[in-house]
Parts: sequence; structure tokens; C-alpha cells
Amino acid sequence: MDVSALQAAQGYAATRGSAPPDLAEAGSTAAGYVRDFAQTLRDSEETAVQAMTGKADPQALVQALAETQLAVETAVTVRDRVVEAYQEILRMPV
Amino acid sequence: MSDLAQTLAIASSGMQAQSNRLRLTSENIANEDTPGYRRKLTTFEEVVQGGERTGKVQTGPVELDPGERTRVYDPGHPLADFTGYYDGSNVDLVVEIADAREAQRSYEANLRVFDQARQMSQGLLDLLRR
Repeated sequence: MDVSALQAAQGYAATRGSAPPDLAEAGSTAAGYVRDFAQTLRDSEETAVQAMTGKADPQALVQALAETQLAVETAVTVRDRVVEAYQEILRMPV
Repeated sequence: MSDLAQTLAIASSGMQAQSNRLRLTSENIANEDTPGYRRKLTTFEEVVQGGERTGKVQTGPVELDPGERTRVYDPGHPLADFTGYYDGSNVDLVVEIADAREAQRSYEANLRVFDQARQMSQGLLDLLRR
């Protein structure tokens, strides 16, 4: 079957138009997540210091540590997935 | 803040409130023999932040039980009046022990919720990790 250049261009335009990538929005959301992550870590560190000096309750310490653990695990998991996807692209035969 | 993170915070506030209650109970038990002591009571209330109900719990201001104090007969006691009686405390050990046990049960319930929320978030992450 003979595919003309015009048809190919039309097909390409149709595919591209269907899912417009919004990189700016994705970037700002990711930056927000990173900020939240850093804030969670800072809060937990502060709570740990306060618990050690007897100013905060053990419950607050456990809560802060659990939150930090989840935040760090989320970050590590997301990083692993991103690196994996990147390597997949690098391994693509051109 | 996600729902699961909020659950962690709410369960933590519940544990905090119950340990506060247990502290008051221990004060009452310790002062059972103190002449003139009134048992301390507290109430639980929902935390309101910026006019918005957060679902967290906290203990209210400490109140003193206005109930009748026991009259102890001991003419040799320095606080005894001319009839030989003095005012004891109005602490009832049975009530205090029951209160302490209730605080323990409630604390455990909050602990379970805390652990469950943690396990749920962890399970979700494990899904990504394969």
C-alpha cells in the first residue's frame, strides 16, 4: 500500500492534536511535590529534636517518622520508575 | 494533604488525647489519700482550625469534680476538726481504674487505625515497585 507524504502528515497531525502535552503544568506540579517532600523532612527533623529534648510527645514523633518514611519511599519509587523509563528509551534501537 | 496522611494525623491526635486522659487518671489515683483533693476531669472536643473542623480530637480544660468528699474519722489527724472528722478526697479507685482501662482501649484503637493507614500507603507504593 502506498502511503503518500500528505496522508502521513495528516495522520501525524491528528495523533499530535489528540493529546496535547502540558509540560509547564506538569513541571509546576512536580516542583510542588518536591517542595512538600522537603517540608515533610524538615518538619520530621524538627519534631525529632523536640521529642529528644522532651518538648514533643512520642505520638508526634512516630507520626512524623511514619510520614517521612512514606514520603522518602514515594520519592525513591518514583525516581526508580523514571530512571527505568529513561533507560528503556536509551536502549531503543534506532 | 492526602486522606491517608490526614488519617495518620487524626489517629495521632487521638493517641495524644488518650495519654492526656491517662495522666489525669494517674494524678487522681496518686492523690486518692490526699485530704481535700478533688478528682480531675476532662472532656474531649474536636479541634477547630481557622473555623474549620479538622476531625482531630483534643482534651478540653481540666475541671474539678464537685462531688461530695469522703469524711474520714481520725481524731489524731492534724486536719481533723473538733468532731474528729476531716475531708478526704472524692476519688473512687474503681472509677479511676475503669477510666484508665478505657483510655488504654481507645489508645489501642487509634494505634490500629494508624498502623492500617500506614500499611495501606505502603501497599500502594509496593504496587509500583513490582
